[in-house]
Amino acid sequence: MNEQISPLWTHLTTEGRMTGTWRSALPNYQNQPSPCLGACPVNGRIAEWIKQVKDGDLQGAWVTLVDNNPFPAIAGRICHHPCETACNRQDLDETVGICSLERFVGDAALAEGWQFPSASIERDQSVAVIGGGPAGLSAAYQLRRHGFAVSLYETRDELGGLMRFGIPSYRLEPAVLDGEVDRIVALGIDLHLGAEVTDNAALTALRGSHDAVFLATGASLPKRLPALDYSRPWVIDSAEFLAAPADEQSDQAGAHILVIGGGSAAMDVARSARRHGREVTVLTLEPEGQLPAQQVEVEEAIEEGVKFVCGAMLQSAETDGTGVKLQCVHVDFETGKNPGEFSVTPLEGSGFELLVDTIIPAVGQDADIDRWSGMFDQQGSVIGTGTDWQTSAPGLFAGGDVASMSRFVTQAVGMGKEAAQAIAASLAPDIALPGADDPAQVPYERINTTYQDKHNRTRQRSRDVKERLAGFDQVQQPLSADKAHSEASRCFSCGTCIYCDNCYYYCPDMAITRLDGGYSVNADYCKGCGLCVAECPTGSIHMQEEKAP
Amino acid sequence: MEKIDYRDEGRFCSGHVACAGCAEAISMRVILNAVGEDTVGVIVPSCTAVILGGYPMSSTKTSFIHGTLESAGAFASGVKRALRAQGRDDTTVLCLAGDGGTYDIGLQSLSSAAERNEDILYICFDNEGYMNTGGQKSSSTPHKAATGSTPLGKPTRKKNMIEILAAHRIPYIATTSPSHLSDMAAKVKKAKSIRGTKVIFVLIPCLPGWGVAENAAVKTARLGVEAGVFPLIEVEGGVKYSLTVDQKTRRIDDYLGEQKRYNHLSDEDRRELQEEVDDTWARLLARAEAGE
Repeated sequence: MNEQISPLWTHLTTEGRMTGTWRSALPNYQNQPSPCLGACPVNGRIAEWIKQVKDGDLQGAWVTLVDNNPFPAIAGRICHHPCETACNRQDLDETVGICSLERFVGDAALAEGWQFPSASIERDQSVAVIGGGPAGLSAAYQLRRHGFAVSLYETRDELGGLMRFGIPSYRLEPAVLDGEVDRIVALGIDLHLGAEVTDNAALTALRGSHDAVFLATGASLPKRLPALDYSRPWVIDSAEFLAAPADEQSDQAGAHILVIGGGSAAMDVARSARRHGREVTVLTLEPEGQLPAQQVEVEEAIEEGVKFVCGAMLQSAETDGTGVKLQCVHVDFETGKNPGEFSVTPLEGSGFELLVDTIIPAVGQDADIDRWSGMFDQQGSVIGTGTDWQTSAPGLFAGGDVASMSRFVTQAVGMGKEAAQAIAASLAPDIALPGADDPAQVPYERINTTYQDKHNRTRQRSRDVKERLAGFDQVQQPLSADKAHSEASRCFSCGTCIYCDNCYYYCPDMAITRLDGGYSVNADYCKGCGLCVAECPTGSIHMQEEKAP
Repeated sequence: MEKIDYRDEGRFCSGHVACAGCAEAISMRVILNAVGEDTVGVIVPSCTAVILGGYPMSSTKTSFIHGTLESAGAFASGVKRALRAQGRDDTTVLCLAGDGGTYDIGLQSLSSAAERNEDILYICFDNEGYMNTGGQKSSSTPHKAATGSTPLGKPTRKKNMIEILAAHRIPYIATTSPSHLSDMAAKVKKAKSIRGTKVIFVLIPCLPGWGVAENAAVKTARLGVEAGVFPLIEVEGGVKYSLTVDQKTRRIDDYLGEQKRYNHLSDEDRRELQEEVDDTWARLLARAEAGE
């Protein structure tokens, strides 16, 4: 003891007392998946890149985005955004506009000309990718990043698949598609455009010349309605209609068009036809409010003057001299348990007539797999694969519409990514398959909303209806930088630490230390009260019970 | 979100014996660091005294003198005068007391110090009862709250110390909450810069005394602020009232629901308490508007 100090005075601090012995649980910093990540078809780390947008690091956000999806500008325009449906913020006010933010980042990358870094190593093995649509391009991109040589075979003269030939430019401008596709090609892909790989011999040859093959030829066969004679001149195939240039579309159809189907393709046909000045009626089996197309597509179609007859079925169609007379009936519609499955029961006495000039059925597409007969097992109307997209034929993988009934573009991108990961892991022992995500997602109750920005959602502005119908210009207008930042700040960052220091300041025991890029808990002092967890805005700290040794 | 705005310079140490999850420890950390190094402290019997001391240990690196329960104001006055005699006029005298030492037995010495406008910074950690001795009621205990000595709920209202002190026309009175740490630090710094008697009240939801969950002290205090039960205010010169949080965004039920001391309330009781809050809030608003 220091003799200078009076024995009446305290001469020790309490730091010698280990209050950690009082504790039964210790906080644990652990980032946990957000509900949006769980819902995302490409497993995008949404909370992470939106945080980067919030912090003004747009390029960082883009790098995070393209780790899982090379098409942020495209997905930001056309994705069916299950992320927004899952968003925790809806329990407070409205979901975060994730799609509009993704578009904002994707557009910034195109404007700035950001490119993918070239592969860090070049590998000897090569992979053939058959099909240059979203699944094939996504797989080619991921495989090139791993350093594999990639040969891409596409029957058409341009890449993009459905994104180019199935989606009108008022939803996805060709320049955006070109920009994001060219960036993948620039990684060094051996391109074979106009290459028909449509029979067993061609496929067998590719399997012989490559270490693995990924088959992503999409769904190219239109489903047929039994009540319709497709040989009639007044029946037009929807896929052909959408793939045709605008002036040819205009030449094809009569004054009043009936579109059959309630999905995205049907909306695309209907809205394109409205832009050619046609009167358009959409006939759907599904009742109003249950159409498989995105809600916004249906709303915009209605704004553009498309008429809907929902919950009804075509029974027959015949010309009557002046036009085409359709006999229809209302139906009871029930969805099945798998995507695409349903049953309908016509309602007696509910028949009605429609009079039109042209019919464009858009009731979905089937994969053309009969041409590969005997090469691998089938699963219903698609190629059978395991969860890693491996077919029954060794070294042959398949994904996208040819191997799945999940038919959204971003689902195809996700399948392409997963297949590429499986192919990469099968070819190179140094590449590990990514571990399964923690299924436990952060629920709303774990978010401390006290610390969240309170303002309401900022939406993209839609072009004026008159202006829309005058051409094929993009309907949804991008967010400004200010609005994007403000929208990003609404994100709860569920399960992702944002280094706000709340845990540090609210610890009554000074048991939390700030580190570079995180925090540590001093178990000597932590009493296990859980205030750090309660005051964490993002739900990224958990109390973990401690058991006696 | 805005980050909490103050710097921890190590004035308050780990290893203290506050209950796990105690909001008083969080608040002491803010106050001791915001006041800074050039400070001499006075502390009277209270939870705070237990947390700070336990001879021969101290949980603060600031010098403190432990006084008697009834004499916080007098002790602080004496320390200030001794420092002045040494020429240390700028050294802050920080006086820490609980509501027992402030509202009850210490009221006379605080009133005397305030009347003389002694240059002290007086902090009252208000946990609305004698929570360190088993949870008896004090004159700060609110209406209808159950304590060890008022098991059916206190029949009278909480003493309004703000108005008592305002009547002394001291330069600065403020209320703060452990749910608003940046505000707490800012008010302490502001008070430190003013000469004369400054009194700051800190609402401390007592975990065992109020029946609050171990991780919910901050939440409870926040609900108290949001419901207008514990308005965050400043009173300058005893007359100029201003509201730090100028919206009452909740009903009192949210606040009461976090605490077991209000478990016995009937709907009628809750209505009565809500009316009291509404009335107090309206008077406060009127004062704040008149002060501008």
